[in-house]
Amino acid sequence: MIVLDPAHGGTDTGARGENGVAEKDIVLQIARAVREQLSRDAYRVLLTRNDDSNPSYDDRAALANAYRDAIFISLHVSSTGTPGTARAYYDQFSTPIPQPSVATGPGAKPAAAPPASSLAVWEQAQRPYLDTSHRLADLIQADLAQSFSGSPSASIAAPVRALRSVTEPAVAIEISSVSGSTPDALAATAGPVAAAIAHGISALRQTSSAGVK
Amino acid sequence: MPRNLKIILGLLAIAVVIGLISLHSLRRHIQRLAESRAAEEQARHAVLALPISTPTDVTVKAEIFWAAGPDRIAPVEVEMPLSADPVERSRQLLLALIANPPTGGQRTLPADTTLSSFYILGDGTAVADFSDAISSEMPSGILSEEMAVNSIARTLESNVPGLRRLKILIHGQEADTLAGNVDLTGFFDLNSAAAPPPARSATAVPPVAPAAPGAAH
Repeated sequence: MIVLDPAHGGTDTGARGENGVAEKDIVLQIARAVREQLSRDAYRVLLTRNDDSNPSYDDRAALANAYRDAIFISLHVSSTGTPGTARAYYDQFSTPIPQPSVATGPGAKPAAAPPASSLAVWEQAQRPYLDTSHRLADLIQADLAQSFSGSPSASIAAPVRALRSVTEPAVAIEISSVSGSTPDALAATAGPVAAAIAHGISALRQTSSAGVK
Repeated sequence: MPRNLKIILGLLAIAVVIGLISLHSLRRHIQRLAESRAAEEQARHAVLALPISTPTDVTVKAEIFWAAGPDRIAPVEVEMPLSADPVERSRQLLLALIANPPTGGQRTLPADTTLSSFYILGDGTAVADFSDAISSEMPSGILSEEMAVNSIARTLESNVPGLRRLKILIHGQEADTLAGNVDLTGFFDLNSAAAPPPARSATAVPPVAPAAPGAAH
């Protein structure tokens, strides 16, 4: 299952171009076209929204988390950046600051490690999937770099809010930009984006046991 | 015309006149409020944008990270007086980052942004509290928001020793995102060996990716 997430929606327009183009509309258009293309390649595809609604980040993540072996792809169009370029992002978490031990006297024992738990912390649910997400983002970015000249050759780590609670490999793709591109040019990115996602997932399946149906 | 109808029409006419007068005064009131809010914002900005001077100021070459193109940031060497006190030093740097980009195109933070407060916790956590403008006037997008956060983090990291992580607040509150995309509920690593190694992303966007603080949840 591939869960496509057209960002924003409703009163949250996302990026806005001078010509009135709103990110929320363009990403929905792109998501529908990408779904059509991926469905033709026999992928099962689900959209987190298929209208002008704005599900919360948690609702979007929960939808993806309901499926085993899903892949979450969040679609964005930026306000800035070189027009005609695209970037794939994977999530990034901070390094916890080690807490000093309370007992410091002679013979003091180090604090016991907290008991292992199979429960994931919702705010950090993506953390165990970072390596796979990073690999998938790199694979997708390599393809995007071919189709979108001037794009970086490797993916970028960033704390993207839409990704943090997803318990599957999760990647955000952002295309530039609402200010420098026409709506038609932006809509036309759906083909190469779909191809990059399909190639990336296919390559990931070959290199790992991640099953994507 | 019946007398009752005349009275009703008369009352309606009076109500319309009163409504029009009220509407006019309401509009003027709203306009005055908007003007006073803008004036207040300008006055606040003028006060907060004043250079901060401390007794321990020494003129040094600081590295301030501004945009170096549409999708990257890079350090610019700026000769400026900086305090020995890390809190004052950080405020001086962030003030310069907001107010003095070499060109408008190099700006990473909205011009109306003000630094409301800044403090450093005992564990090396820097807390920077910005005005609403940092969010409301920020162009939405992962790229623009990431460049904004990186410019703050890298500027502090390069010039204020001892900081370990950064927390960004907006108007004294924890914000979910900066402008709809980049997560502000966590911390951003500073001076951390755990920051993404250059090999992982240096080829992608050299000045941005390696510069990315280990941002966080």
